[in-house]
Amino acid sequence: MTETRALVERLPNDIGGVKSAPIQQVEHELLPWEKRCHALADVLDFHKIINTEEKRRGVEALGAEMVNALSYYERWIVAFANILFQRRVLTPTEVARKMDEVAARSDDISQAAKA
Amino acid sequence: MQHNAQEPHASLPGVVFAAGESPLFALDDSVRILQRKPIGHYRVPTYLRGKVGTVVQIITPIGIDNEEEGFGRDAGVKLHYYRIAIPMSELWPEYSGSPRDGLRVEVYETWLERI
Amino acid sequence: MHESNEHGHPHAEISHTERPGYYEIMETAVRELLVEKQLIGAGEIRRQIEVLDSRTPALGAKIVARAWLDPDFKARLLKNGRAGCEELGISFYDDTGLIVLENTEKVHNLIVCTLCSCYPRPVLGLPPDWYKLKPYRSRAVSEPRAVLAEFGTIIPDDVEIRVSDSTSMVRYLVLPRRPEGTEGFTEEQLAALVTRDAMIGVIPANSPAAENAP
Repeated sequence: MTETRALVERLPNDIGGVKSAPIQQVEHELLPWEKRCHALADVLDFHKIINTEEKRRGVEALGAEMVNALSYYERWIVAFANILFQRRVLTPTEVARKMDEVAARSDDISQAAKA
Repeated sequence: MQHNAQEPHASLPGVVFAAGESPLFALDDSVRILQRKPIGHYRVPTYLRGKVGTVVQIITPIGIDNEEEGFGRDAGVKLHYYRIAIPMSELWPEYSGSPRDGLRVEVYETWLERI
Repeated sequence: MHESNEHGHPHAEISHTERPGYYEIMETAVRELLVEKQLIGAGEIRRQIEVLDSRTPALGAKIVARAWLDPDFKARLLKNGRAGCEELGISFYDDTGLIVLENTEKVHNLIVCTLCSCYPRPVLGLPPDWYKLKPYRSRAVSEPRAVLAEFGTIIPDDVEIRVSDSTSMVRYLVLPRRPEGTEGFTEEQLAALVTRDAMIGVIPANSPAAENAP
């Protein structure tokens, strides 16, 4: 048995009973994109394009470093992209191009707003 | 779809139930949660592995194994989940609360053995 | 208070005139591509946002208040939580079931999802951040009395604590004890005493005295 075996056997979200800090009762109103991301998850599940269990698996598959560093809905959207690539629904190139397009579009909007 | 918190019905003589429709375990059965270490995806937290509890409810409807569902399998064999009662002292030897305190958790049929 | 991640450090504030952040751009790109490919409809996302916005702890509070007033309804609700909610016109938009856990003089229930953030969304809306973060998820199952104490809730030793860890298709809702001094209260007056946190099980329902305090 090697030291690394535990990294394979224990998923990053499997934290029941692990020593942890006192609870801080934090909460926030969801940002519009976070709410859209949640709605997207529900709609993907309704169509069984990505079922709820696969979304959970996709988040775990990000690995401990990303699970710990990204916020809740950041993890979801990255997991969705990965699963959609695996399922051959989308390609990395398509998403990269579309992200450039969305970024350029919002730059245009903010330029117009300043003008 | 019916979601019941009650015992599934016994079959009328002459009526044959499909595979998985009849629960393997009954109320008050003593069961052990298996000491298994799947990789990739699971929904039985590590802290429950190998622990002994009692069946307090048979969950209906039956469902797909979420270890398979997590990889996009949306149909197939369906089995029961069972609501299992486990004393805190069984889970955490150093538990300092009341000896009556306990945990309740749903565990899939393939993870249980009768003792 | 802004989004906190697992380590609890806040993310940068986002101003509406700035370009959207990296993950927001990713969300927009993925959604638009799925709509372009006709795999989902743009209207479906808008509709689901309306569904989400319509689900708040006020629904859970109504269920609790009705259960306090109507013993027959309470019996049906405890037997089949989902059917009880549906009876009041609250639909379950997903495939989850619901078990309603009754707090009594002898039993105090607490709900958690150690593996992710399972929560009775159809009747409470989306969970608070603390419910989704590591300290609550990791500790609620191993030291529930210490966790409750951090919420100001002290449970006597002769009261059994039952922690329900939600891992698959069933969600949980705690039916808190009806506070003293509420005889003759209407359903609306009772519902006003029932908070989200009481239905998670971390605090009791408010007492009428506390509600009227300045």
